[in-house]
Amino acid sequence: MPEILGATDLVVELGAGRGLLRRRAGVRAVDGVDISVAEGETFGIVGESGCGKTTLARALLGLQRESAGEIRLEGRAVSGLHPRAARRVRDAVQYVHQDPGAALDPWWRVGATLAEGLAIHGLTDRAEQRARIAETLAAVGLDAAMADRYPHELSGGQQRRIGLARILLLRPKVVILDEPTAGLDLSVQAAVLRLLRDLRTRFGLTYVFISHDLSVVRRVCDRVAVMYLGRVVEHGSAATLFAEPRHPYTRALIAAAPHLDGRESGPSLPGDPPSLRAVPPGCRFHPRCAAAAAGCAQRDPVLEEAGADHAVACLRWRDLDAA
Amino acid sequence: MSTPVLQVDGLAVHLRGEGGLARILDDVALTVPRGGTLGVVGESGCGKSTLLRAILGILPRGAETPSGAILFEGRDILSDDGASARGRIGFVPQDPYLSLNPVFRAGDQILEIMRRHAPGSRRDHRDRLIELFRAVQLPDPEGALRKYPHQFSGGQRQRLLIAAALSCDPALVVADEPTTALDVTTQREILALLRALVADRGLSLLFVTHDFGVLAAICADVAVLYAGRVAEAGPTRAVLDAPRHPYTRMLLACHPDRATDLAGIPGTVPAATAQPQGCRFHPRCPIVQPGCAAQAPPMVALGAGRGVACPWHEVALA
Repeated sequence: MPEILGATDLVVELGAGRGLLRRRAGVRAVDGVDISVAEGETFGIVGESGCGKTTLARALLGLQRESAGEIRLEGRAVSGLHPRAARRVRDAVQYVHQDPGAALDPWWRVGATLAEGLAIHGLTDRAEQRARIAETLAAVGLDAAMADRYPHELSGGQQRRIGLARILLLRPKVVILDEPTAGLDLSVQAAVLRLLRDLRTRFGLTYVFISHDLSVVRRVCDRVAVMYLGRVVEHGSAATLFAEPRHPYTRALIAAAPHLDGRESGPSLPGDPPSLRAVPPGCRFHPRCAAAAAGCAQRDPVLEEAGADHAVACLRWRDLDAA
Repeated sequence: MSTPVLQVDGLAVHLRGEGGLARILDDVALTVPRGGTLGVVGESGCGKSTLLRAILGILPRGAETPSGAILFEGRDILSDDGASARGRIGFVPQDPYLSLNPVFRAGDQILEIMRRHAPGSRRDHRDRLIELFRAVQLPDPEGALRKYPHQFSGGQRQRLLIAAALSCDPALVVADEPTTALDVTTQREILALLRALVADRGLSLLFVTHDFGVLAAICADVAVLYAGRVAEAGPTRAVLDAPRHPYTRMLLACHPDRATDLAGIPGTVPAATAQPQGCRFHPRCPIVQPGCAAQAPPMVALGAGRGVACPWHEVALA
């Protein structure tokens, strides 16, 4: 399938400012990321908190201005624009908030919130709004009467469904899902994942799926990128990545996920990721890496091909045993 | 056999509120043996937190315990003269970011608890806390005494709170989803620490979680709660490998490690004010039988420490 959303050498600097006499340096939350999301797939982005997952999503969406690099949507370059213009050309990309309950106004009926989105995007006819809302609520498995409820009257699963309805109304092509199952109970999570799968087929959507839950990512994603400190350290098809992870960080991340059978495999990963204000020289992961060698502190690894549709940024991946 | 550290017997907790009488817990029985690790697992609204609150003696205003007992080292802590024994129950909260006061040094906050509950001089307390910081593997244990909460990472804060839970020499530690706010890598470290503390110090642990993977990593035994009742209990491995209650079977089938078709469970957990008569799972149960709505099913013993509150546990799910 052709690429629908992509980025090359994307850099997002946060917190930089110009003082009276000197420039204040920011931190590079996203530092040279290449990604390419194919039409119709579910593309997973995983990593620990602070790795830049959400900043990357905000830049793709046009809410956060990129500092350097290129973003492409349906083959057109859409980067280098002011935030407002950037959002306008990226109408086809929509975002589902991590906590859909917090993203709803507690004083507004759900229907009013849904109608506002349509009005902002140019659909102002009341009757047409109502029809479209009823149709979309049905698509996410909710009753049309749900439009008259207030957010606090909804369960966690229903709030997720409203969050989805809200963006489906705008007929997006790419949907960025930020931790779509965080905080959900197992049975509700299963229902939400199934709904996402059905909606993707029905509306021909492409998903960017940001999550820290590797069991879920393995289950629903076609391809996955692993981020560490603002960089993509490994990417590939989900099947390959989980069966033969090459980067020591990916291995540690997969090993850390708890499993139903209680097995624990591979080494644990001690410590926390270092601060973006003090990025280690050479490979960013080397201070926590069990396989680090002398060269790792000097040379910054770049992504290299490790197989069909599989790339890894590690100086030593060839020396490490296959997992 | 020695007395279990904690034995909950026929416990009911009711809460009178605007929506009427909420029967949050009903006839709950569970046991934490000395040196044992019991996981209490269930979805939101199943009564996990209320159970914890009843054990810790912090039930909300208006809550009643019309029947049942909570025996801690053989004394009923629901009675007035047994309540003082609660000083020997340590508590690890869910969110390490919300559980420390940001304007006081973390060490001082723990020393304050020790002054209240543990014997000894200030000097003894300080020495003991440094020893505990070492036990929970905080870097630079002596320097940690002088630091404020924001100077610790999330994982380190959870270690601090585990040290606080251990500070008064508890016979039982109660943990409320202590790893949900953490990254998986940090979660694994904290679980390894708790396992080591259980093995080395003979700690008894009651661990509340909604995550079956975490449960499998730390708890020897499990009690599955549904709508305020124990649906199924037994050794964790046995229950996870071959669940018997229809609810446990369907819930585990939703786990991404197992799921074949991400079916979910039809319907929702009933509100505590509108619990169904009889078996509380019967409106959602695929193998519901005529008698299920009439009477709450008693626990059926299956041998090897297992029990299931369903007389139809051998019937295959449709």
